Amino acid sequence: MNKKTILILFIFLYNTTSYSQLFKYTTASFNSFSAYYLDDSKTGDFNENNRFRSNNYLNIKSNIDKNWNLELQVESYAPNSLLNYSPNFKETNLSTFNIAYNKNNLNISIGNFYEQFGSGMTLRSWEDKNLGINNSIRGLNTKYRINDEFNITALIGQQKKGFKYSKGYILGFDSEFDFSKITNGSTLLLGLSYVGRNDQRTKSEFFPETTHMFSGRLDYSSNSFYSNIEIIDKSKNPITVFGSLSNTFIKKGSSLLFNSGYFNNGFGIDFTFRRLENMSLFSEREAYGNPYNESIINYLPALTKQHDYSLANLYVYSAQPNVSFQTNDLMKVGEIGMQIDLYYFLEKNTFLGGKYGTNISVNGAVWNNLDGNFDFNNQNYDTDLFGFGQKYFSELSLEIRKKWSSKFDNIFLFINQFYNSRFIEEKVGEVNSNVLVLENTYKINDKKSLRFELQHLSTKDDNKNWSAYAIEYNLNSAFSVYFSDLYNYQNPKQEKKIHYYNFGGSYSKGINRFTINYGRQRGGLVCTGGICRYVPESSGLSFSISSTLF
Amino acid sequence: MNLKPIVTIVFMILFSLNNAYSQTSMPNINIKTLEGKTINSKTTYNKKGLTVYSFWATWCVPCINELDDIHNEIQKWDKANVKIIAISTDDSRTKRRIRPLVNGKKWDFKIFLDENQSLKRALNIDAIPHTIVTKGNKIIYRRIGYKPGEENYLYDFIINNSVAKN
Repeated sequence: MNKKTILILFIFLYNTTSYSQLFKYTTASFNSFSAYYLDDSKTGDFNENNRFRSNNYLNIKSNIDKNWNLELQVESYAPNSLLNYSPNFKETNLSTFNIAYNKNNLNISIGNFYEQFGSGMTLRSWEDKNLGINNSIRGLNTKYRINDEFNITALIGQQKKGFKYSKGYILGFDSEFDFSKITNGSTLLLGLSYVGRNDQRTKSEFFPETTHMFSGRLDYSSNSFYSNIEIIDKSKNPITVFGSLSNTFIKKGSSLLFNSGYFNNGFGIDFTFRRLENMSLFSEREAYGNPYNESIINYLPALTKQHDYSLANLYVYSAQPNVSFQTNDLMKVGEIGMQIDLYYFLEKNTFLGGKYGTNISVNGAVWNNLDGNFDFNNQNYDTDLFGFGQKYFSELSLEIRKKWSSKFDNIFLFINQFYNSRFIEEKVGEVNSNVLVLENTYKINDKKSLRFELQHLSTKDDNKNWSAYAIEYNLNSAFSVYFSDLYNYQNPKQEKKIHYYNFGGSYSKGINRFTINYGRQRGGLVCTGGICRYVPESSGLSFSISSTLF
Repeated sequence: MNLKPIVTIVFMILFSLNNAYSQTSMPNINIKTLEGKTINSKTTYNKKGLTVYSFWATWCVPCINELDDIHNEIQKWDKANVKIIAISTDDSRTKRRIRPLVNGKKWDFKIFLDENQSLKRALNIDAIPHTIVTKGNKIIYRRIGYKPGEENYLYDFIINNSVAKN
């Protein structure tokens, strides 16, 4: 769609909202992330075209009347996107457009829509601007709530990738039954889903053009206990071997998820087990392994604790749902593992709890390759249902949050990690590391506060030890300034002992926020919500605007 | 440098600002209870006074700081005739941590799940923490981010607006 059409659409929307009573309310938001990249004597020169890069998003939603809603999003990349976003994001265009009808228990949506079935393991379309993900589906989505106990969803469409659309089609059906009326105070939900992906472009006599996924899930909750299970069966699909689809290596996939938890006032425990075998599915078969997370149909996040501190995110696990035969001692067919979380509150006015009480949380996770018989030469395998193969990753963490007085509190975090780079990233080596974090917040008065963060990562492997610190000063409710530094002080290569310093500030007032930052970014995996992408090292000035206009 | 796209965007913003009016209400979006039951966001507000909607996630440190800071003085808040709703935007990666965390912290806020971020998107929320205050169903205050001490400002805002109501 060209710019003129977008402008006309916009003016149409503007005029209708301004001069008629048709639209009940309109809301819009604008986001802009820009950077001016600089040459850096330590991390190298900027060798791409266009030093100035900017990602801009304008989103408008409107209630046309009680039943009709309209939404559109225009995106502009000036003329290239920030480093390492998909090349499909280029220049200015209409990104998403949707008209939805909502009456009584019926919801019909035409255009781009976001949807998730169950936990998303069969289907999830969502947007994450930081990761450059917008895999909304363009087509038809119908939801009908038959009664309080039963609702269904049916959809068909093509998936968005950048400003383009995948050639493959997605067909989905989901149903949810609520049996709570007969379970006497507890909740019991049953969900059944189907997702089909039809990709005619890769038509072959060796495998079917449609891949099917059938899924069933059961959720039980009572006052202080819950448990759920989800099982998925995925039909045969060719494995991608060194970048091309195999005509002989064609396998089924499956997934098993079990989760249970118990909680009582002041105490909570949660346990999750998951087994994934050959489970990733893309709306185009050829999109397998693309570095931009484009054309992902199902959401298979890493089930580990998501950390908020930079050194805790140096060696991040990403889920391993795929079949990958690299050499005869590097063969992956999926993952199996578990995670446990414990939360405990030490009461106020006790010896350990102190005046304000103390929060303690523990997390443990371990993820392995599936075990079985792998045949590299004949490209085939069999797996054991509960067999644990080569270990990918494990982590144990302890977090203590303590408020000492009305002015001072801190967070202490300790993490012990094992990261198998060879299997996770298909590189070399393993990393055993310990991370320590201490965050202190001092409230000077109601408006002013000071936050000071210290981090250390110690390891004998990879690039050895790191240290990091950050200082943030909140001048008042609007202004905030910070300085932070990450330093790989034990890197065996002298020239790689680099300070990744950053300083900047933010101004936020109500629903508007502006930030500015100058510094050096560490390259590597950037992960949000269990989905990761690689970013190169860079230096420069960056700024962002986030504003909900009305 | 090609400035055309930027000019277009700025032009669009000016257009939209011209049209700005802030009287919006909570949209009609399906969210879930902790047990997984579907509930309409429009039905969640406090019928007798103000409602604070705090958008958070289990992995968001400032979000938890804000809710902890409110919880630490919950008796004060309870007297203000305000309903506090914490809307979790955790997706399937981290949502299983919500119930143990909430109980481990003894929070007694009402918790709802916005797993695929439908409500967050409908309200044009781009980053969390994000706080919204409604009077009835009408939005009267919004804020992005949280800095230590801001809960006191929020509390004062609520007291001032509750008084105005009576």
